Amino acid sequence: MKAYFFTRLGVVKAVDGVSFGLRKGECLCLVGESGCGKTATALSILRLIDSPPGRIVGGEIRYHGEDLLRSPASRLRQIRGNRIAMIFQDPQSSLNPVFTVGDQIMEPIRLHLKLGKRPARERALSLMKQVGIPQAKERMKYYPHQFSGGMKQRVMIAAALSCDPEILIADEPTTALDTTIKAQILDIFRDLKRERNMSILFITHDLGTVAGIADRIIVMYGGRVAEAGSALDIFDQPKHPYTWGLLNCLPTVSERREKLSPIPGTIPSLIDPPEGCIFYPRCQWRMPVCPQKRPEEFVISGEHIAACYLYA
Amino acid sequence: MKRLSNIFGGRRNLTFSGLLFFLLSIFLLDWLVFERILEPFVYFCLFFALLIIFYGIYPLYTNRRLTRYYWDRTKKHRLAVIGLAFIIFLVAVALFGPLLTQDPTKVDFKNKYLPPAGFSAEQSLYDRNTGQLITTETPGTWFHPLGTDDKGRDMLAMLVSGTRISLQVGLMATLIAIFIGLILGVVSAYLGGWVDNALMRFTDIMMTFPFFLLLVFIVFIFGPSLWFIILAIGLTGWTGAARLVRSETLSLRTRDFIMASKSLGASDRRIVFRHLIPNVLSSVIVIATLSIPGVILAEAALSFIGLGDPTVTSWGLVLHAGQRSLDTAWWIAVEPGIMLFLTVLAFNFLGDGIRDAFDPRSQI
Repeated sequence: MKAYFFTRLGVVKAVDGVSFGLRKGECLCLVGESGCGKTATALSILRLIDSPPGRIVGGEIRYHGEDLLRSPASRLRQIRGNRIAMIFQDPQSSLNPVFTVGDQIMEPIRLHLKLGKRPARERALSLMKQVGIPQAKERMKYYPHQFSGGMKQRVMIAAALSCDPEILIADEPTTALDTTIKAQILDIFRDLKRERNMSILFITHDLGTVAGIADRIIVMYGGRVAEAGSALDIFDQPKHPYTWGLLNCLPTVSERREKLSPIPGTIPSLIDPPEGCIFYPRCQWRMPVCPQKRPEEFVISGEHIAACYLYA
Repeated sequence: MKRLSNIFGGRRNLTFSGLLFFLLSIFLLDWLVFERILEPFVYFCLFFALLIIFYGIYPLYTNRRLTRYYWDRTKKHRLAVIGLAFIIFLVAVALFGPLLTQDPTKVDFKNKYLPPAGFSAEQSLYDRNTGQLITTETPGTWFHPLGTDDKGRDMLAMLVSGTRISLQVGLMATLIAIFIGLILGVVSAYLGGWVDNALMRFTDIMMTFPFFLLLVFIVFIFGPSLWFIILAIGLTGWTGAARLVRSETLSLRTRDFIMASKSLGASDRRIVFRHLIPNVLSSVIVIATLSIPGVILAEAALSFIGLGDPTVTSWGLVLHAGQRSLDTAWWIAVEPGIMLFLTVLAFNFLGDGIRDAFDPRSQI
C-alpha cells in the first residue's frame, strides 16, 4: 500500500509500499519512531487520511476479499466502527466534550446495530463494565471532562468494541497514559484477544509495550517495512540494524547497562527519500550497495523478513 | 413510532417537530381562514417558547448538576442576572402589555403634551375668547401615567407597543442572521477547498458594504414594511457569525473526536449536526445575544430617520416625533430613549454573563 501526502514542500511518502496481513485472533504490532508512517498506515486502512493533502496512491486493502480502497463511501461507513474499529492516541481529545460518555458509546451501537435507546443503553452499560469502569451506571451520565485520561481511554475502547468488531486498530492507545494505567489498558487488550478472538493491530513506538501482547511485529522505518516477524523472532534474533538500535534503546531489568544507546541521527525527511535504503545515513553497517538500490525484503526464515542487504 | 423517533433523532425532536407542525397549521388556519385573529408576533413567541423549552429548559431540567454549574457561574455576574430579569420583564410586557394599555394609535388633541404623572409642564394654549396665548401649568394625570405626545396619544401604550416591535425585530432578525451564519460557517469550514474560498470571499464582500447604508437602500427599494426590515437586517447581519463559526469549526475539525467519530462510522451529515454544530453552539448563543441590541438599534435608527414601518408604533418613531418638541415636552423623546438604553444594556449584560458562563477558560 502507498499513501502519499501532497504538501507544498513536495510529496511526503508517508507509507511507501507497506504490505502485511492480519489473521483472526492475532495481535500484530506496528513499531517505529515518530513520523515513520505507523499512524498513516492505520488511518489508510479505514481510508481516514485527510484529503487533501493525503491520498492513497496505490495498492489495495483487502477485508475478507473486499478491496476497501474501491468500496463506496457508504459501504465504508458500514465497516468503520462495525467490523473494523479504531482507538486513538489521545483520549483527552477523542471524546466530544458536549455529550455524555454514555451517549458516545451508544452512538456506534445505534448507528450500526440499529438498536433502540434502551437496549443500546444496556449494551453500553455492559461494555463499560467490561472495560473496567466502576459505577458504570452513574458514570454514563458524566461528561468527558469529569473523567481521567485512563477512564477516557476505557470509554474509547468501549465505544470501539460496541459493535463487536473483528478488527481493532489501536493507534498508540497507551502513549498518553501513565505506567500503571498503561498496564491495565494492555490487560484489556489481552483479554479481548483471548476472549473474543479479536484481531488487533497495535501501533506503538515502544517495543517494551509490545512485548507482552504481540504475536507478530512489524518494524517500520521511513514509511517502509524494515523488519517483520513473530514476536519471538524480533526480540530474540533481530536482524535489521534499525531493530538492533530500537532494542538497544530499551531499558531492561535483567542486564545492567551503563547507558541506553540511542540511534544516532534523526529520521529522514520523507519528501524525496534517498534512492537506496532509507536507513542508510544512520546505519553503522552500511555497505556500498546500500545507497544505490532500495533493499527488497529478504526472507530470513519462515515469516521473518528484513529489508537489509546484510541478508542478501 | 420507534422508527419515527429514530429518524428525527430522538423522542424530544419528534415531539418538538410535532408541536411545531401543530403551531404552523394553527397559524396557517388563522392566517388564511380566520382573518388573523392573533398577531404573527404571538406565534413567533410561541415558537420561541417551544424552542427554549425543548432545547433549553428540558436539558437543563434533566441535567440538574450542569444546570447548577451554569447557574452558579452566571449568578456571579450580578449584572447578567439583572439583565435577564429585565429581558423577561420586557417579554412579558410585549406579550401581555397591549391587552392592558390603551390604543397607542388613538389620537386625542384635547390631551396633547400631557407630562408623566407626578410631573407638570408649562403649556401654551390659545385662548379662543381673548385671542391670546396663555401659559398654563399642566399636571400629569394617572390616566396617562407616562404622559401623552403631540397628538395626545398615550405614551405608555406607545412604549409597550414599541417593546413588542423591538423584541420582534431583535429576536427574529438575529435568528435569521445567526441561522445563515451558522450554516455558512460550518459548511465553509467543513468542506474547505473552493467552497470555503467562495463563501468566505462572499462574506468579505458583504462585510465591505456599510451595513446601515445597505439597510437604508433595501428599505428604500422594497418599501418600509416591518417584515422587510426584519428580513433585511437578518440577511445582511450574518457575516460576523459566519466568520466566528467558521473559525471555531476549523479548529474543531482537526480535533481527534471528529476523526474518532468518523472511524466509528459516522457520516458527514452526522458529524456536522452532532459534533460540529453542538460544539459551536455556545459561541453562537453568545454572539446572538450580543447582536440583538445592535439589531434593535438599527431598527430604531431606521424608524428615527423615517424609513421605518409607519404603520407600527416603534420606539424609533416615537423618538423621532419627540425630538421636535424636546424643549417643551422632553418626555416624548426621553422615555423611548430610556427604554432603548435599558434594553440594549440588558442584552449586553446578559451576553457577557453567558459568555463567561460558557467559556471554560474564563475564571470569574
